[in-house]
Amino acid sequence: MHIKRLRRKLYIIIALALVSVLFVFPREDRILRAIGIKNVSPKVKLGLDLQGGTSLTYDADLKDTPAADKQKAMDGVLNVITKRINPTGTSEALIQQSGTNRIIVQLPGVTDAEAAAQQIGRTAQLTFYNLPPGDQPTPIPTDLTGKDLEQATADIDPQTAQPMIRFTMKSGESTKKFSDVTTEINKTGGRLVIVLDNQILFNGTVSTPITDGTGQMTGFADIKTAKETTVLLNAGALPVPVSLSSQRTIGATLGSESIAKSMIAGVIGFMAVVIFMVATYRWAGLIASLALVLYVLFNISLFKLSSITPWPIVLTLAGIAGFILSIGMAVDANILIFERMKEEMRSGKTIPNSLQVGFHRAWSSIRDSNLSTIMTCVILYTFGAPIIKGFAVTLALGVILSMITAITISRTLIQLFAESRFGSKSSRYSGVALTRIKPEKTS
Amino acid sequence: MNIIGRRKLWFAISLLIIIPGTFSLLRWGLKPGIDFVGGQVMEISGTTDQGFVRQTLVDNGARDIVITTTGDNKLLARYRDEEGKDSTKTSTEVKAALAVKNAQPTSFESIGPAVSRDITRNAFVSVGLASIVIMFFIAFAFRNAPPPVSPMSFGVTAIIAILHDTLVVVGTFSLLGHFANVEIDALFVTAVLTAIGFSVHDTIVVYDRIRENLKRSTERFEVVVNDSIVETMARSLATSLTVIFTLIALLVFGGDTIRLFILALLVGIMSGTFSSIFNAAPMLVVWHNWKLKRMAQKSK
Repeated sequence: MHIKRLRRKLYIIIALALVSVLFVFPREDRILRAIGIKNVSPKVKLGLDLQGGTSLTYDADLKDTPAADKQKAMDGVLNVITKRINPTGTSEALIQQSGTNRIIVQLPGVTDAEAAAQQIGRTAQLTFYNLPPGDQPTPIPTDLTGKDLEQATADIDPQTAQPMIRFTMKSGESTKKFSDVTTEINKTGGRLVIVLDNQILFNGTVSTPITDGTGQMTGFADIKTAKETTVLLNAGALPVPVSLSSQRTIGATLGSESIAKSMIAGVIGFMAVVIFMVATYRWAGLIASLALVLYVLFNISLFKLSSITPWPIVLTLAGIAGFILSIGMAVDANILIFERMKEEMRSGKTIPNSLQVGFHRAWSSIRDSNLSTIMTCVILYTFGAPIIKGFAVTLALGVILSMITAITISRTLIQLFAESRFGSKSSRYSGVALTRIKPEKTS
Repeated sequence: MNIIGRRKLWFAISLLIIIPGTFSLLRWGLKPGIDFVGGQVMEISGTTDQGFVRQTLVDNGARDIVITTTGDNKLLARYRDEEGKDSTKTSTEVKAALAVKNAQPTSFESIGPAVSRDITRNAFVSVGLASIVIMFFIAFAFRNAPPPVSPMSFGVTAIIAILHDTLVVVGTFSLLGHFANVEIDALFVTAVLTAIGFSVHDTIVVYDRIRENLKRSTERFEVVVNDSIVETMARSLATSLTVIFTLIALLVFGGDTIRLFILALLVGIMSGTFSSIFNAAPMLVVWHNWKLKRMAQKSK
């Protein structure tokens, strides 16, 4: 009965292991497709430091914004920036608010920080002026703004072959305002001037009043500039000005070098732990190492699987270090259990019995010590920069997962081993004969 | 093995370890990196000509330039932009100028004053918070410790051990800062915090055993503590060793970028192993004896 239950657990473990091997395998999407799961491609998400890219940090100027409207202004800023860098909604860019007035923009693959910064940080205030005729006329601002704009598209003027932007005003009120303004300018013989921040997008006479709310802007160096301007126009103006406060750009080659080095370090670290465990705890150590292999498989599966959920785990270099570190920590629970088991065996208990007691007694130490690391990770996550958050997440995940593997998988495997004939000798559990390591009594 | 009997020796060793670092810390402090003071760092590959890079930076208005060569033959230039100049602009201009000699920046980081102020504040807040949370957590975890020990004595002695570990790491990096120009960054704080969290692992294992032994032993407190340390020593060492193995692998074979982070972790975790065995539990005895003495005085 008892053995039967253990066997059943073993089958579950084997099944879980097979499933995770499926995910860890580099061509996992092909295998998934073969078994009928389509359109799912779980890939480990890499942070900017590993795949290369640019991270820009902006501080919004909220000093003139009433306290009640601050978050509204920030939401507006986030919304506009999102539209600017991701007009089609397809890029992997990440825009987050941090604190009350900070915005972190992460642009994977982008290394031209200056161009990106110019596009993101511009206020993009669109103004329409009525410039009366005369030698030194004063421009008269109109009540038309970027908010009246419905849509702007870049194009090449078929007549002049020059880049230009066609725009449409929103129907109703906005179109009427535009019609009134152009009628007025047409009547006085003045000029219409359209300005984006301090860049003139249009400066010309109005030959007929425009009543259908459409218009054109010219004077762009090339079609690329025109396209960038349409992105700004369509996204609208930032509700408050922002200033670039930090920047980080990482080349893609640096990242791939780092990944390769970390992999080597991980494999060597893993082997060192396995050798130590087998040397110290013999067969029990081997079983713990087997559980460690499963731990690594499960962990990588989780990294990959998380990428298709709304909470992807982003691996940074420090995060990989956290994961490798967690390999060394993952066997800790096993060590505590085995040491406790040895003590119980020494006191004359049978092996299955010692195992039972060992797991039971070691549990409070395992739980409390791991909780202290998890609490540290929570603090790191709360107060840390993105690179530190990555480390905190992988370490915490590792600690939790290793605790679960230790009390479920290692335990089942060791129990099965202890019940077997082969596992009934105490020398299978320790590198040192148990009788020889009785603790000496003090005083 | 008599650990408790020789506690004065262990305390003296600990003092000897922390004195040079503490001296350095008081005398020279730490070398804060751009995370804490703001500024720019550019990593450049394709050239080893420090003079050329320096001149390029000077031409573009950079100040306080420090150029070092990294392990994999790249140049690391730290500088400060001209006041009020857009850092993305400078970096683009420098990039163009470097291209003349086929050199290019492989990474660039710029931290403004507002961000560095926040990082510094968060560093202090998180270290302080972690210490307090761990102290109360241990006091809570050992709330059912049998008399004569108070749960708080477990928490407080664990924190003293943690402070010891923090001082060892920070002191080491103060010395490294003074003699090897090593700067500390936000990751350094992370390493300190992680080492703190892990140092508590071993302490908890010993304390857990003390609590268990107290419940069934009639021996004197000192003897119980000593037995507990001896009984758990093998596992304390084993659990730390496996972590140290992975850290050494990362230190030797891992990337250059996080080498100092790993070093800080390694120093902290080794110190943590020592302090759990030789400081935390012996201090529990010191605390206990002191309390007994006071109680005896009161009853007189």
